Amino acid sequence: MLKMTHLSKVYRTEVVETYALRDFNINVNEGEFVAVTGPSGSGKTTFLTIAGLLETFTGGQYHLDGVEVSNLNDNERSRIRNEKIGFIFQAFNLIPDLNVYDNVEVPLRYRGMKGPERKERIMQALERVGLASRAKHYPAELSGGQQQRVAIARALAGSPRLLLADEPTGNLDTQMARGVMELLEEIHREGATIVMVTHDPELAARAQRNVHIIDGQVVDLAEDPRFHQAVHAARANTPA
Amino acid sequence: MQIKPILSALRQHKAGTLLIAMQIALTLAIVCNALFIIQQRLAHLSEPTGIDEPDIFVVQNEWVGKLSTSQADARMQEDLRAIRQLASVQDVTPSNSYPLRGSGWDDGIRLKPDQLQDTSGSTVYFGDEHFIDTLGVKLVAGRNFRPEEVAPMDMRYSLSPPVVIVTRALADKLFPAGDALGKTIYLAGSPTAIVGIIDQLQAQSVERWAAAFAHRSVIVPRRLAVSLGAYYIVRARPGQLDAAMRETPRALFAINPRRVISDKDGLLSFAQVRDRAYERDRGMAILMGLICVVLLAITAAGIVGLTSFWVGQRRKQIGVRRALGATRRDILGYFLTENLLISCGGALLGVLLAVAVNLWLVVRFEMNRLSLAYVLAGVVLLLLLGQGAVLAPALRASRVPPVEATRSV
Ligand SMILES: Nc1ncnc2c1ncn2[C@@H]1O[C@H](COP(=O)(O)OP(=O)(O)O)[C@@H](O)[C@H]1O
Ligand SMILES: [Mg+2]
Repeated sequence: MLKMTHLSKVYRTEVVETYALRDFNINVNEGEFVAVTGPSGSGKTTFLTIAGLLETFTGGQYHLDGVEVSNLNDNERSRIRNEKIGFIFQAFNLIPDLNVYDNVEVPLRYRGMKGPERKERIMQALERVGLASRAKHYPAELSGGQQQRVAIARALAGSPRLLLADEPTGNLDTQMARGVMELLEEIHREGATIVMVTHDPELAARAQRNVHIIDGQVVDLAEDPRFHQAVHAARANTPA
Repeated sequence: MQIKPILSALRQHKAGTLLIAMQIALTLAIVCNALFIIQQRLAHLSEPTGIDEPDIFVVQNEWVGKLSTSQADARMQEDLRAIRQLASVQDVTPSNSYPLRGSGWDDGIRLKPDQLQDTSGSTVYFGDEHFIDTLGVKLVAGRNFRPEEVAPMDMRYSLSPPVVIVTRALADKLFPAGDALGKTIYLAGSPTAIVGIIDQLQAQSVERWAAAFAHRSVIVPRRLAVSLGAYYIVRARPGQLDAAMRETPRALFAINPRRVISDKDGLLSFAQVRDRAYERDRGMAILMGLICVVLLAITAAGIVGLTSFWVGQRRKQIGVRRALGATRRDILGYFLTENLLISCGGALLGVLLAVAVNLWLVVRFEMNRLSLAYVLAGVVLLLLLGQGAVLAPALRASRVPPVEATRSV
């Protein structure tokens, strides 16, 4: 589904060059649920933005669904984002001027979907996250957990095959975080591929696979006993 | 198109939206009316006088000292003979006034001696048997004055010419059946017969007060013989206007230096006369044009300003939209459509306002009714202006990268 080889990303400013990613290699299979962890500034967000075609990269290769993405133009990238990828951001990123219904509708309109189908999908997605009754509310009128569930509904409505989540629970309290995590797991069980960046070892432990990033590179977990212990401890603490 | 969500998003930005819509409405109302006024003025100032303007100039001659009517007339006849002898001059006629002069003699005309109300107002021009040829007006019926009909006249005498020549406009007004020639009319109370009809001769004034009799002129066979002097209307031979204007005053001073021909306006080509007559109209047209340009510029600047502000404010959501699959064109289209919707709202209001402003002008200043073509032109102009003004900020918006969605504020 998602395969990066020797990928690098350099941010250049007038004074410095920052290697956000270097010789970055990862392979995520269709249907996997991968949790990405790593210290702040290690390149997790950079990885997700490149994976989600929000940003270009400096070197190496990235195949998404078998397609080398560096050959795609801006319009093609927009279309793939629209049809194949769903985004969930730490800051929810709902459009404040639009109510819940209109927010979920945004990607469907860009897909050129007809009104009745849009309506059906929007209501389905909102029911799925338990917010059908809040369709007319504006983001500012909802709690953080509710906003993130709307964002998930927006990502779901287009039935994406790949869901990218950047610390989706980072701004939520534990209980709300758990609700969001359960929702993601449910979506995963239905066949979506999920890549989730998280700081929370407990949530990471619930994923099928963990990828650790340090200094812009994927680090083999087996070679890093400290992290291994942390995950182990977290697993032990998680109620079954 | 995504009109519905754009409208609902605009509901969250009522103040800015209303401000721009009102500005567009106001600009539209004023610009439509201003354009209309400009057009009216331009039409007014291109109205023909009916005379051979390119070859004509006017000398205002004033005598020094007091002269009797017969003395003044003798001197004037001498002047006219001298002018006629100049090689560059075709003909000359003395008069009390001329078209577009600004002021002159106007008088009422009646069809019966005991009539209480004038049948028409008219401009009264003095002229001799050379009047028609000098001005280059066309005699369409009847005959010219005979030399023996032309008499000198002082301002103290009452105006009672035996015959007159009238313009077709006046003839048609007095005798709509078309049988004016030979008829008796009462000019300033005394009877006189219409012996000739000329095609066209405009009034002295182009101001509103003279509009009712703008082309209804009557020519009386009289020479104004007073010490204050008279106007010599001169027609140069084709292409010799400059020479004639140089030679005429020289010839006059050679005969008799005891006269005044003012440096300021003693000698005017008809082109200068026309310029002076329409100074106000031209000034008004230019002023209106300037107002339009300034208003349109302010409105465009307002649109650019507000849209730029909105684009800055919405960078994040533009990034989010891009992340969710919007292409650059979608973003560009969003801002263009948004502006079009606001502009249409403003234009709708503006049309009503434009008609209201015009109605007020009609009642207050006797303006003409605004033609719908101007309203339509104004609407199109403002919609285009809006789209033009919004283009730069909208293009900037379309270049916001999708990664903006992930940046924390
Ligand atoms: N737009 C940018 N310009 C310059 N440097 C950047 C930019 N975005 C990220 N970086 C740098 O790249 C590195 C990785 O950042 P990021 O991917 O956000 O890390 P993480 O999400 O793991 O905290 C950091 O050193 C960060 O400062
Ligand atoms: Mg990050």
